[in-house]
Amino acid sequence: MKILVCMKQVPQKDAPLKLNEAGTWIREDVSYEVNEPDAFALEEALRQKEKHGGEVVAITAGPARSQQVLREALAKGADRAIHLEDAGFVGLDALNVARALAAAIKDEQFDLIFTGLQSDDQGYAQTGVVLAELLGWPHATIIMQIERTGDGIRVKRELEAGFFQFVDMPLPAVLTIQSGINKLRYATLIGIKQAKNKPMRKVTMAEVQPALGPNLQKVERLHVPQKTRNTEFLEGAPAEIAKKLVDKLRNEARVL
Amino acid sequence: MATVSATPKSKISGGSFLLENRSASDVFTPEDFTEQHQLIAQTAEDFAANEIVPNIEKMEHKDFSISRDLLKKAGELGLSSAEIPEVYGGMELDKVTASIIADHIAKYAGFATTWGGHTGIGTLPIVYFGSEEQKKKYLPRLASGEIVGAYALSEASSGSDALNCRARAELSADGKYYVLNGEKMWITNAGFADLFTVFAKIGGEKFTAFLVEKTFPGFSIGAEEHKMGIRGSSTCPLILNDCQAPVENVLGEIGKGHVIAFNILNVGRFKLGAMCVGGARVSLENAVQYAKQRKAFGKVIADFGLVREKIASMAALIFVGESLVYRTVGMMDDALSQIDKHAPGADKETRKAIEEYAVECSIIKVWGSEMIDYVVDETVQIYGGYGFVEEYPAERAYRDARINRIFEGTNEINRLIIAGFLLKRAASGQLPLMPAIKKLMDEVMSGASTEDFEGPLSEERKLVSSAKNLTLFAAGVASQKYMQSIQDQQEVMGAIADMVIEVYAMESATLRAQKIAEQSASSAMLPIAMTRVYLSQAMEKMESAARKVVAAAADGDTLRAQSAILRRLAKHDPINTIQLRQEISQKVIERGKYALN
Amino acid sequence: MADTILVVVEQREGKLNRVSWETIVAGQALARETGWNLEAAVAGNNVSGLASEVAAKAVTKVYAIESPKLATYTPDAFAAALKQFIASSQPKLVLMPHTYQVRDFIPKLATAMGRTVITDCIGFKKEKEILLFTRQMFQGKFAADVTFAGDPPWFVTFQNGAFRADKIESGAAAAPIENVNIEIADAVVRNRPEEAFKEAKQAVDLTQASVIVAVGRGIKEQKNIELAKQLAEALGGEIAASRPICDSGWLPMDRQVGSSGQTVAPQLYLALGISGAIQHLVGMKGARTIIAVNKDSEAPIFEIADYAVVGNLFDIVPPLIEEIKKVKPAS
Repeated sequence: MKILVCMKQVPQKDAPLKLNEAGTWIREDVSYEVNEPDAFALEEALRQKEKHGGEVVAITAGPARSQQVLREALAKGADRAIHLEDAGFVGLDALNVARALAAAIKDEQFDLIFTGLQSDDQGYAQTGVVLAELLGWPHATIIMQIERTGDGIRVKRELEAGFFQFVDMPLPAVLTIQSGINKLRYATLIGIKQAKNKPMRKVTMAEVQPALGPNLQKVERLHVPQKTRNTEFLEGAPAEIAKKLVDKLRNEARVL
Repeated sequence: MATVSATPKSKISGGSFLLENRSASDVFTPEDFTEQHQLIAQTAEDFAANEIVPNIEKMEHKDFSISRDLLKKAGELGLSSAEIPEVYGGMELDKVTASIIADHIAKYAGFATTWGGHTGIGTLPIVYFGSEEQKKKYLPRLASGEIVGAYALSEASSGSDALNCRARAELSADGKYYVLNGEKMWITNAGFADLFTVFAKIGGEKFTAFLVEKTFPGFSIGAEEHKMGIRGSSTCPLILNDCQAPVENVLGEIGKGHVIAFNILNVGRFKLGAMCVGGARVSLENAVQYAKQRKAFGKVIADFGLVREKIASMAALIFVGESLVYRTVGMMDDALSQIDKHAPGADKETRKAIEEYAVECSIIKVWGSEMIDYVVDETVQIYGGYGFVEEYPAERAYRDARINRIFEGTNEINRLIIAGFLLKRAASGQLPLMPAIKKLMDEVMSGASTEDFEGPLSEERKLVSSAKNLTLFAAGVASQKYMQSIQDQQEVMGAIADMVIEVYAMESATLRAQKIAEQSASSAMLPIAMTRVYLSQAMEKMESAARKVVAAAADGDTLRAQSAILRRLAKHDPINTIQLRQEISQKVIERGKYALN
Repeated sequence: MADTILVVVEQREGKLNRVSWETIVAGQALARETGWNLEAAVAGNNVSGLASEVAAKAVTKVYAIESPKLATYTPDAFAAALKQFIASSQPKLVLMPHTYQVRDFIPKLATAMGRTVITDCIGFKKEKEILLFTRQMFQGKFAADVTFAGDPPWFVTFQNGAFRADKIESGAAAAPIENVNIEIADAVVRNRPEEAFKEAKQAVDLTQASVIVAVGRGIKEQKNIELAKQLAEALGGEIAASRPICDSGWLPMDRQVGSSGQTVAPQLYLALGISGAIQHLVGMKGARTIIAVNKDSEAPIFEIADYAVVGNLFDIVPPLIEEIKKVKPAS
């Protein structure tokens, strides 16, 4: 199977983020890492390849720094990589990002495309599904398991409230992968050494520009959410406290 | 390789930092890590965080099955064989990589000791001195972690003076093996290692190294030592009772065991520096996290100036430590990249290239081990009472750090190496120390003005230059007084070593900060603040050491004249380190750990 | 014709989920703000009953979008049906709850119509006649105000809990219901889903738990762990502990939360008898809601708790389990 894995570089989880002067985006001088669900998507692609043979290709869109996620993918075992390299990709909406990805792979024949289920920075959870629609492929989201069947695949979708569901679907298809579907491997030193010699195709903004349209949504500004924890002390007899707690569990924590 | 620029650089000679002013482009820094270095750092960091840290408790309680498992996992990832050639199953990577791995593995000192014992003194003797057969037989399995290595040099009554060893070896009647008798002490990994480099004297005279497998007849291991720290590592005596080692297991040449014994510590010492930096980083993170949570008088203690001052000092030291370690291994890599690894005698060339920087490696070891002791001590202080109980990590780190000043050559031995090596090189003409001292003395006498510096950190570079002059001056005064017998004046040698150490530390930090500043002024603010804080405290040490030397070497009018010169050389304007430490601690506390961005 | 806001509600097994009601509340608020009509739609097979439930609320009209192909959810069928309906009814704004099901098809639907969707919003505001939708970014470190730059229909999904379902307004009279029958060709639906199922509990991965009940030294004895387990069970959550409890072997090590255990970020973290040593706090302070019960009013855990109960956990927990059982049927 030939599998494309869409990966994104996002600010490190504990990176101290600051707003830019205009308040429209973060300042870019932070440390970055691979979007965690994308790491699971890559791992799953590598496992599928180990089982069924084929090729794993990693793709990302972003400035020069984002090449790091592709190197990491290559070090872990991806066969080659595609880098849509331009700082301008950061500002695209999900539709345009998917259009750019689709344009970059128009001459390729993939059986499967994996993405993480969402990104840790913007968290729109859209790119994979939009890409499927642009390609005219079926898709399934929040996938916890993938098996090959005769002419297609059988996937396990995570639903809400502890429910799951198996879905049979034909190929080619797009799947968005849930974190925790597998156990991530480490990049071995031998893999890291070999990664240097694996092919990395660069795609410029100009090459995909004809496929893009105007952004249909715009982040006007970012701000710091007000809420910090204000501890509320609940008082009264135990039975009263129990009632108050249940109210909080229902209406505030929303776990009941 | 880790060369910063594509063109090969002229090799920098060891110890030359004392005499020559370097530019920022000459030094390798963590900011110069390649993509490959960063990926390997990530793997090492993930391995430490996910595999080592969750198992700390078990290893502290001496469950060494965990340690062996971890060595196997590390081996499979390639983390244990950066310094083993590819043909023997190793990764054959540069020393920057070896240091990066050590730096991250050091998250937990107990396992770091195990790993360091295995990959360093347990493996490198074969890498550098093994025969082709020995390398083929042992290195692939050491690389993969299938077998574990250890190194047995010390004895109950010989440590730094290893040549006084009592263990003996006699050739068997049939000439097929040596019969070893004696007892070795403080053997890291002894409890579970498979292969030991054991030193013994053949016929009570010829000091020789042997590769001894634990299954050899007559070989046994004594009880675990009850140690102050690094309890997660195994340390036992080793008992040789008519132990039979085949003649083909003699390592290196008969009677040349001292070459191995002296060199193997030199070729591995740089990683100890890296480990001290890694350990200090973890300690600071713990301290900061605690300070941000712990409240006193209605606010978190991270808001108190005296706590912030500690945090800033610790962070500045870690910055300097990184600068020292990676500058040094960067130089080594430059030198090593010029060696054809497949040519005959490549092992020896490699060893020589590393030994070239013996002074720098000793500096890293001494400076790093004293730095981490300061950091873990202040961490205990920040934790207060909680720092004194076992449930919190400060206490363990405090105990664990202490051994670093003792093993791999005590800091005292290393200070003598630092001063002695420079004086030896000066005597042999390899290092033009004496002409430099003379030139300085002439300048001092004629009142010539000092060199001017321009650009970023010019003040700091000027201070580094003053520090060098101060050191040369003290060394000059001492040489005049003691001549050849200076080697016997350990206190003077120690003071000179202290000054040399500070010069290297000051310069490494300054050049790194300058290099960062040349890239981006905004990201240099913290590095510059850290550098200035460090330089300020280092200059105080320099002055006091210089004064000690001068006062010992002269008296009366001479002393007064020399003190005046000393004061002139050390002259610098005070800086507001309170303000600088405020700025540093602000960032570190905000970030919750040591970080430059 | 006035502009319209369309709320597409979500049903499972003939029942609307709470976040659907919340989304109607969002729609009502938006209708007040904009003066636009609020309509609702429910898609499925035989959904007229649900449609009339919705029609009791303050909406101007409810559509029951029907097709046998909608009996079982597939993204292909739902996107096709809603595309047909929206293309003809032309709402200005389409609101849906940000559920796993909606996020499975709404990007496809919007793309198929040449539009985009602003997902996972927690609120909205109107400034100078422009609607801004607020959503979290960078894992909640920032909130972003996002606008639509293109033509309507504009698609928006709202996060679970962004609006309060109990604030829903009922209508003066039941809103009219219109049945819309949609034809979906066989070839459109490519995925073949099976029945949803629940899995037997597997080995614990606390990081995935949405509710965690954690015990500390205050639990006193091993046998008291049972009480905490009962509470965890009633909440459908996992039991966890601070280090001393696992050190004592009262719970296995994989239940430990904190710097030497797991780092968790559940919806709810209920700490029983945990004082809040920093080693513990670093492992759980990312929880969305923290409730702490402790005898010591000075316990550091209260510093980061949302709700604090100073008292004996053995007094509080039994009635709490009873109260929970009252409102939550056994699952």
